[in-house]
Amino acid sequence: MKRKKQNKVDPHIRSLTKIVGESEILYKPEDLISYDCDGFTVHKALPKAVVFPKNTEEVAALVQYCHMNHLPFLARGAGTGLSGGAIPLNEEIIISLVKMKQLLCVDYENRQAVVQPGYVNLKLTNSISDKGYYYAPDPSSQYVCTIGGNVAENAGGAHCLKYGVTTNHILGLEVVLPHGEVIEIGGEGAPDSPGYDLMGLLTGSEGTLGIVTKITVRILKSPQGKKTVLAYFDDVEEGSRAVSDIIAAGIVPAALEMMDKTAIEGVEAGTFPVGHPPDIEAFLLIEVDGIMAGLEEQIEQILEVCESWNVREVKVAKSEEERSRWWANRKTGFGAMGAISPDYLVQDGVIPRSRLPEVLKEIEKISRESGLRIANIFHAGDGNLHPLILFDSRVPGETEKALQAGTACLKACADVGGSITGEHGVGIEKKEEMRFIFTEEEIEAQLDIRDVFNPYDLLNQGKLFPKPSRCMDVKKIVKDTVAVQS
Amino acid sequence: MLKELMKKKDASLPCEENTLSNYFAKDHPDEAKWADCVHCGMCLEACPTYLETGQEQHSPRGRVHLIKSVAEGKLNVNEAFADPVFQCLDCRACTTACPADVDVGGLIEEARGQVRQAMPLRGWKGAAGSFFLKRLFPHPNRMQTVSGLLKLYQQSGLQKVMRRSGAMKVMPDHLAGMEAIMPEMKASVQKTYKNVDLIPAKGAVKARVAMLTGCIMDVMFGDINESTIHVLTYNGNEVTLPKQQTCCGALHVHAGDRDTGRKLAKQNIEAFEDAGKVIVNAAGCGCALKEYPELFKDDPEWRDRAEKFAAKVEDVSKYLCDTGYVKPESRIHKSITYHDACHLAHGQGVRHEPRQMLQDIPGVEYKEMKNADTCCGSAGIYNLTNPEMAGAVLDRKMADVPEDVEMISMGNPGCMLQMAMGVQKYGRRSEIVHTIQLLDWAYQKDEQAAGKKG
Amino acid sequence: MDTQEHVELHDLYGNRGSEWHEPVSEEEICERLKRAHEEGRKVAIESGGTKRGYGGARGEYDWTLSLKKYKGIVEHNAGDMTITVKPGTTIAELQRFLQEYGQQVSLDPHWPEQATIGGVISANESGPKRLAYGSARDLVIGLRIVYPDGRIIRTGGKVVKNVAGYDMNKLFIGAMGTLGVISEITMKLRPAPKYESLALVSVPEGEEEKLRLLAVEIQDAMIEPVTLEILTPALAEKLTGTRAFTLLVGYEDVECSVKEQEGWMIHHKPENAVLEILHEEEARKFWERFAVTVPNTHTKEKDLCAVLKAGTKNMDVFTMMTTALDLGISHLVDIEAHGGLGHGISEYVVRGQQDNIIAVIEGLRAAAEQKGGYIVIKQLPFHLRKKVDVWGRNPGHFSLMEGIKKAVDPYGVCNLQRYIGGI
Repeated sequence: MKRKKQNKVDPHIRSLTKIVGESEILYKPEDLISYDCDGFTVHKALPKAVVFPKNTEEVAALVQYCHMNHLPFLARGAGTGLSGGAIPLNEEIIISLVKMKQLLCVDYENRQAVVQPGYVNLKLTNSISDKGYYYAPDPSSQYVCTIGGNVAENAGGAHCLKYGVTTNHILGLEVVLPHGEVIEIGGEGAPDSPGYDLMGLLTGSEGTLGIVTKITVRILKSPQGKKTVLAYFDDVEEGSRAVSDIIAAGIVPAALEMMDKTAIEGVEAGTFPVGHPPDIEAFLLIEVDGIMAGLEEQIEQILEVCESWNVREVKVAKSEEERSRWWANRKTGFGAMGAISPDYLVQDGVIPRSRLPEVLKEIEKISRESGLRIANIFHAGDGNLHPLILFDSRVPGETEKALQAGTACLKACADVGGSITGEHGVGIEKKEEMRFIFTEEEIEAQLDIRDVFNPYDLLNQGKLFPKPSRCMDVKKIVKDTVAVQS
Repeated sequence: MLKELMKKKDASLPCEENTLSNYFAKDHPDEAKWADCVHCGMCLEACPTYLETGQEQHSPRGRVHLIKSVAEGKLNVNEAFADPVFQCLDCRACTTACPADVDVGGLIEEARGQVRQAMPLRGWKGAAGSFFLKRLFPHPNRMQTVSGLLKLYQQSGLQKVMRRSGAMKVMPDHLAGMEAIMPEMKASVQKTYKNVDLIPAKGAVKARVAMLTGCIMDVMFGDINESTIHVLTYNGNEVTLPKQQTCCGALHVHAGDRDTGRKLAKQNIEAFEDAGKVIVNAAGCGCALKEYPELFKDDPEWRDRAEKFAAKVEDVSKYLCDTGYVKPESRIHKSITYHDACHLAHGQGVRHEPRQMLQDIPGVEYKEMKNADTCCGSAGIYNLTNPEMAGAVLDRKMADVPEDVEMISMGNPGCMLQMAMGVQKYGRRSEIVHTIQLLDWAYQKDEQAAGKKG
Repeated sequence: MDTQEHVELHDLYGNRGSEWHEPVSEEEICERLKRAHEEGRKVAIESGGTKRGYGGARGEYDWTLSLKKYKGIVEHNAGDMTITVKPGTTIAELQRFLQEYGQQVSLDPHWPEQATIGGVISANESGPKRLAYGSARDLVIGLRIVYPDGRIIRTGGKVVKNVAGYDMNKLFIGAMGTLGVISEITMKLRPAPKYESLALVSVPEGEEEKLRLLAVEIQDAMIEPVTLEILTPALAEKLTGTRAFTLLVGYEDVECSVKEQEGWMIHHKPENAVLEILHEEEARKFWERFAVTVPNTHTKEKDLCAVLKAGTKNMDVFTMMTTALDLGISHLVDIEAHGGLGHGISEYVVRGQQDNIIAVIEGLRAAAEQKGGYIVIKQLPFHLRKKVDVWGRNPGHFSLMEGIKKAVDPYGVCNLQRYIGGI
């Protein structure tokens, strides 16, 4: 009886259990359901198992095992990704890094900190803020997302307009390569280490080149002063013209965010309403930071620009409390859509800033034609649009319609010389749309690089690149037939 | 055994004939509640059990996902479903973190109801649970039987700890000059005021309020009830203690026993029918009373009465801040930190008021606690049913308590017990007090001073 | 083109082909590389030619492909703050063009009149203001690469934020031309500073520790310098006339903010230190002079000269400099150096006898490696590059680099053996 029971457990599961221990593996279907998707919920698939390694050695052992036994595997952080990068399309072994969540060291004099991949983004800032430092990349999910995930996706955030995205803040990485070898890139944080910039290549590779197990990041001194402005516009186009003019005036705002009417309706129905006028067409949330003495002048200039574009009302945050309320309202914008729609699909197109008005018109057209409401939340300062397509997956056919509308939005961005993703990554979601901006040859060139790191394509298979971009990939694609969930 | 249960389940009707749902029709989780969840994950770091386990099924969105999966027919109501659903502390931190206001707590309670319908409790947990929930808490007279209670909590190993908490030792010995006015052990206020219909206000009458005396509160923490009455009357409130009131039912609902929950709710709604305000000093109870309407979703008449009742319920700190209170003049020289009871901060949105009260007492050196609104692990009787998780959550909590504070103040009896255990475990010197007690002691000092002068 | 200079430099620094090609269009670049690929030619790629002494284990290539004449602005959109340029454009030409729009490319490498943007990006050159504005990898948003077989591969795009596919830009930045020819570069721009000034703080001999402490204090304070560059006494003397360790603290912002920060400096000047503040044009002139102090391959030098780049943790720059000076004294060589206390890159010009120079390089390399850093040799005559390793030892993951070279340039057409480990 007992033997029979034991035999039922997959031998691979038994071997993996030996590596991480009984309590650090999930393999029963009921336990795996929670891992069938990440922040992108349109596709769902069960992994073979989820393992929770505690250190680099365990990660390396797990990877080696998968490599030796040709088991597909992938790494997962908090699972907040919006493009499906952590969804197990091929019954992967999910290597969850959430138990590797230590802040290993902070070196204030050299402006760097070393963290494990499961360390939560905002925790870093919280643990160094008493000394006046912070970690700059601030994706909206920073309350929960992990820095390892940030590296995989090259995460951005509201403040990357001035301070750059994740790749600009990474100084060193420890990586487990797809065959299990552990390498260190960037040493102890010395810049420009000789040789090709593998750190730059790995950052944003969406977990297809290796699994990051230790990260050295740059930390910054908090600015002396911050001023935040909220400007309400009766016309979206006037709001977006104001965006261009602020930048053209030679101001580098720390953040320059915009939301349209539908998005405002969402956040006002959510958990952090701030009382935006309901009849407003758009608002701009503008933040400048730096030396206190210089901020007043910039604010005046910003107000002038807003006035010149017929702003209805403009106000400067009077307290830190008010400022954080405005930001909470903005940062929870995506999730808040749940309050006005059962499902949403967020897109992540980027366009040259000056093309904002025409692209917004195009999106409006897409909304009209699809019959789906589209809310717009965007990092207007760097032209990063987040059209949120609102739909109800319970209505037959609506999911497909939403996906089509999303693709159309990306096409509109690509058509004006933009990109299909600014910070969410390609994942599963935008694989096909890669063709909007890259030729077959260019995609091939990227696959050549992948093959150097991941020749057997066991690590995060079926992500990032359209299918089938070459004959070799065709047979893998056959497996990749996950039905669109309705 | 599982199969057996599933068979049993199949024999009864699913909630709607033509759906895939694996839920029972009665009290099935409300689809509208999970439809708002877009799986964004903003709740993860707020959830004590996720922080502890790192596993999605023990996170708010994971639980919602499971609850949804049962409705979609992908999962049965079985052990694998019950475990994450019952590991939840019901601390409601996720509700605060959720951008879309998803009522995870409500869903969990409904899901627990389903689990209890599908698989009634057995064994020690079942016995203990039913002893607490069915045979003890709802019966004030039994609760008064202190010997029984003491026996019970000797068994649970809490006795030593309790000695350090507010109930027995803290106030009389540790506040200089207070001994004279502090009796050794306060009796239940229901006993004390057995024959009193209305406790008069001191000075001009501002309002009349009814008070929930609670089940555990009144027996283990009678002195806190006494303090509450004193603070209320000191501020011009006449206080009534409706005799027919009973346990709030929070623990029953948390445990999935919605039928008993409803029974108790009805009794309380009736008991407080005449009251204009229902003042509560236990966060868990207050939150439960406010959520009575949830229990009567399918009963329009009672839902209506429950809504009217819920609108009258107020935590004592919020009530005092809203209606104004006398700022004490006597000094209490203590360094004090404040722990947000989950059902006060997340459940009722009361954060600022208790802190305000503490800082209004002269001499108090207030220190903010890191992650003050993270659960301590008490969670009703969770620390008895899930001791390991409760212990782990407590460890995390204790790491955030400032080392050098003399007192840790809070507004919930369950938290007081759990924190007292934490203080004991880590050999800290901090005393555990209810926020209202501190205000009371300051007032008593004021009265004493006035008396001397007079 | 076979001038006297050409022959001399050819002899001294290597990295030159026996046949000279100067394409003026992308088609021509493609055509040449395709031909080289087919004919099995080895091609040396350069544009301004200032870095001919930088790496390279081959004396001879079949061709030199010079991009000197492939220059100019392709596209500039002032509103989007991006620019697309051809690789042969010099840094100075680029900045002059942008000046009209009140914009700049925030790169301040040496020799702006000679160095081209293609070369600066291929060698990942940066200057003191890297502290505030980052280096090439932070500014380049898109590239067009002519692959070694003549294919054109675009990487990145024209927008400032982009995570579609791999961040392939990074591969080609600092790749020393070993992975193809960059034929177009798109970069983000910044507004030109509204006001700038430069504080020079110098201390008497033996008190240089005060400058280190000052740098720490500055970084902890609520001020935002754009440079924290430290100069050794010999280099300072050339630039300021005073032979003393000098810290260059630059400010760029609106005028009132710059003034306030100057005020902070005046208030925090260490005891015995001399503080001089240069404003606007004076500051710009200083930086112009600074940019031409470190020799390049066009500079005539009397003595044998090596230029080294060190990368360490930020504050280790200070120790590296004092170590270098000590080594200079014990090995009888002259050393001029500067380095950024906020960005970790320092640079050393070593003049003297061949063996002494090599000893100093080895000594400094040991010191850098001990601190988790490295030394690369930015300029050294070809015959000496055989005696001392330009790039230091190969990293543990060198096989990946080899793999990348093989994947992109399997026949070794472009700058073969120019880079680390002979890739």
